[in-house]
Amino acid sequence: MASLGGSSSSSTEYIVRVPKNTSKKYSIMAFNSGDKVNCSSWTQARMERDMSNRRMYGVEETEEGAAGSEFGKKQREEARRKKFGIVTREFKVEDQPWILKVNGKAGKRFKGTKKGGITENASYYIFTQCPDGAFEAFPVNGWYNFVPQAKHRTLTAEEAEEEWGRRNKVVNHFSIMLQRRLREQERGPDDDDEEGEKGGKKKKKKGGRGGDLRIHDLEDDLELSSDESDSSGGEDGDSKPKKKEGDVKGKVKKKKKKKRGSDSEANEDSDDGDFEGLEVDYMSDESSSEEEVGEEKAKSNKEAVPKGIDEASESEEESEEEKQNEEEGKEEEEEEEGKKTPVQTKKKRDSSGESDTSEDSDIDGEAASALFMKKRTPPKRGGGRGSGGSSRTGSRPGTPSIDSASTSNTLRAAASKLEQGKRQVVGGSSESPAAKRLKMESSSTAVTTQSPAPSGKSTPQPPSGKSTPSSSDVQLTEEAVRRYLIRKPMTTKDLLKKFQTKRTGLSSEQTVNVLAQILKRLNPERKNVNDKMHFYLTE
Amino acid sequence: MSEKGEVDLTGAKQNTGVWLVKVPKYLSQQWAKASGRGEVGKLRIGKNQGKAEVEFTLNEDLTMIDSLGDKPSGVQAPRDHPFTMQTVGGQTLAVFTETQSGKEQISLEGLVVQRAECRPAVSENYMKLKRLQIEELSKPVRLSQQLEKAVTTNYKPVANHSYNLEYDRKKKEEGKRARVDKQQVLDMLFSAFEKHQYYNIKDLVDITKQPVSYLKEILRDIGIYNVKGTHKNTWELKPEYRHYQGGEEEEKETDD
Repeated sequence: MASLGGSSSSSTEYIVRVPKNTSKKYSIMAFNSGDKVNCSSWTQARMERDMSNRRMYGVEETEEGAAGSEFGKKQREEARRKKFGIVTREFKVEDQPWILKVNGKAGKRFKGTKKGGITENASYYIFTQCPDGAFEAFPVNGWYNFVPQAKHRTLTAEEAEEEWGRRNKVVNHFSIMLQRRLREQERGPDDDDEEGEKGGKKKKKKGGRGGDLRIHDLEDDLELSSDESDSSGGEDGDSKPKKKEGDVKGKVKKKKKKKRGSDSEANEDSDDGDFEGLEVDYMSDESSSEEEVGEEKAKSNKEAVPKGIDEASESEEESEEEKQNEEEGKEEEEEEEGKKTPVQTKKKRDSSGESDTSEDSDIDGEAASALFMKKRTPPKRGGGRGSGGSSRTGSRPGTPSIDSASTSNTLRAAASKLEQGKRQVVGGSSESPAAKRLKMESSSTAVTTQSPAPSGKSTPQPPSGKSTPSSSDVQLTEEAVRRYLIRKPMTTKDLLKKFQTKRTGLSSEQTVNVLAQILKRLNPERKNVNDKMHFYLTE
Repeated sequence: MSEKGEVDLTGAKQNTGVWLVKVPKYLSQQWAKASGRGEVGKLRIGKNQGKAEVEFTLNEDLTMIDSLGDKPSGVQAPRDHPFTMQTVGGQTLAVFTETQSGKEQISLEGLVVQRAECRPAVSENYMKLKRLQIEELSKPVRLSQQLEKAVTTNYKPVANHSYNLEYDRKKKEEGKRARVDKQQVLDMLFSAFEKHQYYNIKDLVDITKQPVSYLKEILRDIGIYNVKGTHKNTWELKPEYRHYQGGEEEEKETDD
């Protein structure tokens, strides 16, 4: 080491050596300074090549060996690939990324990807100073950019796109990841309850309905409106999650109730304009204070029981689609508290899809069908009756179950009455008012009449005691014919239509015979209307 | 080569500082020619009015540039190379090494505290060197060359290609395929089907060396022909003869 003196400069000379026979290969490990990586703080580290890109020649193909393999398959595949010019890149271990794990299992993880092209035009050397003062220069073999690997869950590209599309609607971003996690859990355990419960505790947030909202416009509108009401001056995503903690439950439920109330008039799917107007009415109540959440909850608590019945009546008028819409949302609510919501949620369930259907939903379905003259298949009606309610209540704490039981009984009563009403008004004229009348009756009485049906069997017996052996909606009895003829004059053809062979279980010949006998017995009066012979009875 | 995994962190703990220097290609080539202990030059670090100046001087004996081709280049590499110092900045750079021989070991050598670029001092030598490089690079990889005479040596008409003759000879030697005992054929088939489940008729003919019609008859007895599905037009054994997952030959044997 020679020192050269200069006037205002002093310099020292060092010898530079480039060792020839080094067995070590030098590489650069580059971290982004934003990650604030301090190597000296590492207690231990493990680093391995990431072999996940290795495509075993055999693995991707069908398995070797006897079963399922063809003779000469490998060669054929290779020939095929050559013909099409498919070139598979050779797997080079040196080019594979590194996986660096710092401080054991709980520590950070990094993935180091090789940066290409660093040795093409210039060479990098590492100059280290040796104890003897000379510098040693080692060529750099590879450059790896290390990025920290997220341990928290992230959205895949598809999911991210979806969420982006809904960014104006979803308020609670915390829930987005929640939804995803739950969806993954769904694919795991098959138990609905388990998943529902897990989800319920967490999915208190309005945004939790985000996943559900995706499916149905109605929910989206709900979400949108609640956003409007809650935000002061547009969306404020950041503050929202914090606010939402406890608020959402009371608010949303209230909102839903009110929505339903409004919907009962509108009676059908979302009209954006309608909702906007409606929301404004209720905004004043809601947005007035966040602190009043507790009060709101209390209110809704109190109102639960009487409201429940009202809801029941209202909801029955709603379309099935709406029910499906709110189904999932209700599921969560229900699990959350199990207090006010069971009534509403249970009703909402669509029995077709779920195994765990509640009585109420079935009954509601019946009511709706009565309302809209949809003919449901009989087993559907009977199924789940008596079974659903108990299983539902089983998953909730004791006290709420009593409430739900009482309300469910009420609903059952309502439904049974509806069925009766249905039979009587089957002529086709205004069923809705009749059904409504009955509903109002039942709701006002709030009687816990046990429906005679809950045998839990799939053959539904008509509750009014018209026991007939056949499991059909309409029985070909004298009573039935009498009823029809009293109401209005009918031709034989009309009568036959009423007793369709499918429903009565009789063949067409039998139907004709039985009907003829009945008519002989009844001996109705005849009248000619439009050149057709009509029968009628006067009582 | 699988690395064991455990990283030796001594360098990081000691906070060993190293320099990362970008060196021109020609200079690294010259360094590769160094002999002995590998001494390539001298590095002078000075402080000139507060600023640090670093300069590298290449050893005299390493200045000869080899050039492609026969003639000596006559170009000399420049000797003086001032270093441009740069900050490490937006990246935290660490240096790690892997030992290749036998025992794989990854160790962290240290952190980069200074980045530098080695630049040649502009000189006549350097210009000549650059020109040489450009000349070499500008030569096209592929060259079109005109030939004086047409090439006539490739394809000559031949009475019969040698390959064809070979083929005919082989065929004659083999002769037509003779039918052997049915039992033998069955043995062959079963052992073949033990190896793979699906076979093409051509492959089976190849294996058994039987005429096609005879083989087909036998196959119709013990096997089925897949028309559709993934294994199209292949033969496989009938289910009752199959016994995969450790099948024994006895089970598949059948007496005729």
